[in-house]
Amino acid sequence: MNLGTIFSLSTLLNTVNTSTIVILAALGCLMTDQAGIMCIGIDGMIIIGAFAGAMGSWLCGSWVMGLVFALAAGLLSGLFYGVLVIRYHSDEFIIGVAFNLFAQALTTFLLRTLIGQSGSFHPTTGEVVKIPVLQLGRVGDTQVQISIMVLLAWFLVLAMWVFLYKTPQGFWLHASGEHPESLRSVGRSPEKQRYFASLGCGLLCTLAGAYLSMGYLSTFTENMSASKGYVAVACVIFGRSNPLIVFFATLLFGFIEAAGLRMQGFIDPTLTATFPYVGTILMMVFLALRQRTRRGHRAAK
Amino acid sequence: MKKCVSWILFVLMLVTLFSTAASAETPSVAIVLANTLGDRSFYDSAKEGIDRLEADFGTVTKVIHCYEDASQYEIGLDQGAQACDIVVAVGWQFWDALDSGVILEDYPDKKFLFVDNGLADRGDNLMSIVYAQNEGSFLVGYIAGKMTKTGKIGAVGGQDSDTINDFIVGYKAGAALANPDCEVLVQYSNDYEDPAKGKECALALHSMDCDIIFQIAGKTGEGVFEAAREAGFYAIGVDGDQKYINPDVIICSMVKDVGRSIYEVVSHPDEYFKGGTIWKADMATGFIDVVYGTEDMPQQVSDELKSEVEELKQKIISGEIVVPTTLE
Repeated sequence: MNLGTIFSLSTLLNTVNTSTIVILAALGCLMTDQAGIMCIGIDGMIIIGAFAGAMGSWLCGSWVMGLVFALAAGLLSGLFYGVLVIRYHSDEFIIGVAFNLFAQALTTFLLRTLIGQSGSFHPTTGEVVKIPVLQLGRVGDTQVQISIMVLLAWFLVLAMWVFLYKTPQGFWLHASGEHPESLRSVGRSPEKQRYFASLGCGLLCTLAGAYLSMGYLSTFTENMSASKGYVAVACVIFGRSNPLIVFFATLLFGFIEAAGLRMQGFIDPTLTATFPYVGTILMMVFLALRQRTRRGHRAAK
Repeated sequence: MKKCVSWILFVLMLVTLFSTAASAETPSVAIVLANTLGDRSFYDSAKEGIDRLEADFGTVTKVIHCYEDASQYEIGLDQGAQACDIVVAVGWQFWDALDSGVILEDYPDKKFLFVDNGLADRGDNLMSIVYAQNEGSFLVGYIAGKMTKTGKIGAVGGQDSDTINDFIVGYKAGAALANPDCEVLVQYSNDYEDPAKGKECALALHSMDCDIIFQIAGKTGEGVFEAAREAGFYAIGVDGDQKYINPDVIICSMVKDVGRSIYEVVSHPDEYFKGGTIWKADMATGFIDVVYGTEDMPQQVSDELKSEVEELKQKIISGEIVVPTTLE
């Protein structure tokens, strides 16, 4: 086995570029987890963001407008989830699952009726303008390319950490999930915090989707999130909603997947395909063992 | 009141009777897809076939999508058989549903066509079409073997299955003939519907020095072209002439003309439809080929190489070269 091909710069770049989708979605998910209404509908929000981003970018011929379309769709998705879960007290898991199915069907329907194409989106005129990529020169044989969304995602991880643990607003958000009554006793509304979290979740997840359809690729295909949202949920649970730990968990997942691909030459390819899922199970077992001493699941303070 | 209702029902019955009689002039055809359209290769090719039937003969057509949901395969075939005279099952995934024979017995008057896998002797109303994808892959492998500068070429396969490996053995044999030192690396995406996965696979192959990559993964292959554009290597298309997708990086395509094979069988059922048999659509009959897009697109493959490929093609047709296969 040639370890050079597995632990190479290209593997690292691959990891960084693909895990950005999961990082952004996980940041959104952890906001709702902090507010006590964990959203597993993020897979659907990614698909909606991917669709709106590709459409905006194609219609207006500009990636900025693509992002604007995606973020607008994110606000709507967040509001939809928020109203059902916060205003009408629906079960957040059922709404989350329903939202995932709904988003998949809605984007499929819109693609077929508005554009008249099925399966995937291939504009006959114009193209999906991609989010700019930074060329950072060559190292050896490898051209180092990083999308600006990758840097934005990393910045957002730090910003989220500062927000959650260093600002009063962050504490309110956490209190709305941990102990809403005490938040109410100081005259703050936990519902407002939750709405804030669910809107933030919508924005971040659709940003992840926009990166998928107009950053990493330049097309929209039905169900293109390929369950990355569920990986993000697993990372959030593993990292107990601490942005920094969640960030490393997503990188680890990305690395397992990228390395798995490169191991196909040595190991049976049907086995390497299971690596990300085996990784998830191992992480969950680790978590369960660790949590035996700390009762119950709570978002990290 | 009762009389009125019975009159309405009687008129309705007449209308439906005549409307079915009218549509029965040319056989209607349903394609039942194991997944869904939009891959710009396999499934879209089948759709093109029935679109041509509709244009040429006014055939009534129907598309049923199963979204890779195993519980839908039998239901999809059933729906197709209820609505149309000829049912085309597109994808090897229908093996179990057709092998059980329940559908075939339920609709003895309908004709079933199984595309991309072979089931013989399951009844007079089922015919299978298999394709000699190894022959076309041999030629694109030869082109890649001649054109590689690093001495390494790659292939992204949808999954580690017999049909996909049939492409790969042909590709390897062609590359070996062109350049005995040429190394062929393969990555399986384990998914036909995930372009992001296709891009990762292609970038991984490129990082191992492959400078020409053959995509054999349907919609996943879109990501291979994306990677080729970004990282600057050549790609080879599959199933249809895919060069138009990106003429600068796609040097040629291996055509497996699913659409035309369906067209021929449905439009000339007396000539082609033979129940209980497996028909092999190959290079000699023109259903497998190598194409280079249109004249106005930039051509990366030199004219000398194209004529060499043409000679090889004639040798395959005449049987002088027998390309290895994983099937049968």
